[in-house]
Amino acid sequence: MIRCEDVLRELSNYIDVEVTEELCRQIEEHLQACHKCAVLLSTTRKTLSLVANNSRILELPSDVSQRLMERLAAHWS
Amino acid sequence: MAQEVRLIPEPGSDVSQVPDEELIRLVCLGQRELFGHLVRRYERSVYHIVQGILNNTADSEEVLQESFLKALQHIADFRGESQFRTWLTRIAINEARMRLRKYRPMLHDSIDEAPDDTMDFRPRELRDWRPNPEQRLRETELAQLLEKAIRSLAPLYREVFVLRDVEHLSSQETAQALGISLPAAKARLLRARLMMREYLAPHLQQRWHHRLLDRVTQRRRYQ
Repeated sequence: MIRCEDVLRELSNYIDVEVTEELCRQIEEHLQACHKCAVLLSTTRKTLSLVANNSRILELPSDVSQRLMERLAAHWS
Repeated sequence: MAQEVRLIPEPGSDVSQVPDEELIRLVCLGQRELFGHLVRRYERSVYHIVQGILNNTADSEEVLQESFLKALQHIADFRGESQFRTWLTRIAINEARMRLRKYRPMLHDSIDEAPDDTMDFRPRELRDWRPNPEQRLRETELAQLLEKAIRSLAPLYREVFVLRDVEHLSSQETAQALGISLPAAKARLLRARLMMREYLAPHLQQRWHHRLLDRVTQRRRYQ
């Protein structure tokens, strides 16, 4: 039976589906019995989905884009 | 020569459908203005990445410009051994780090030397979050909160998080772009994700008064 520390260490790999089938099975078994690890997993997943679904983060301002094209155009003309 | 002419997109054709490699080939043949389409494809991504390293809008804009200028100057050196995006990302990361080394050497040292102390990190906020917490925040509020959370990360963790979870490079591409081993990239990513979660938790957790309010609302609904 794996421990909470093992789940914590493999959390990212588990989310990215980069663990072996055997380890995946062990983690899932642990998650069924451990509420804290289950919360840790669900809230980390939620964090990543909020970031992935929010296209306004670190938005490229349109004037920055325009100045970039102007500088490049000056270079290749 | 006839073969080269056939590769050039006809006027009015949809250049957005032309693969990177073909655009690069045409740029190398002299159609330098087509480089603009590559810029449009990746400017946002490169800006995210340099912002992730520099955390400063003025520096990020200059590095964005320098990165694309350098890519254009060296486009003939692109051999297609990796994807154009990975090659461009590597240029942008190098430019951003050079900028840090030049203007903020202490910060740069912290990127090079900070240990991967993942296992020392213990999540503290282990209460569950509200269901669909984003529905209680306006879109702009949520974007600001997420941006603040990313900016709160130390540079070492911010750059790996932006590459992997904002720009969705693979783990291998992220490690390649940062010039570090795959296990090191994964260790940093885990720490970055846990710190992001920790930052957001107080804003998105299920509070006792929310639980109470939900229960009252539910009871009223069935009365």
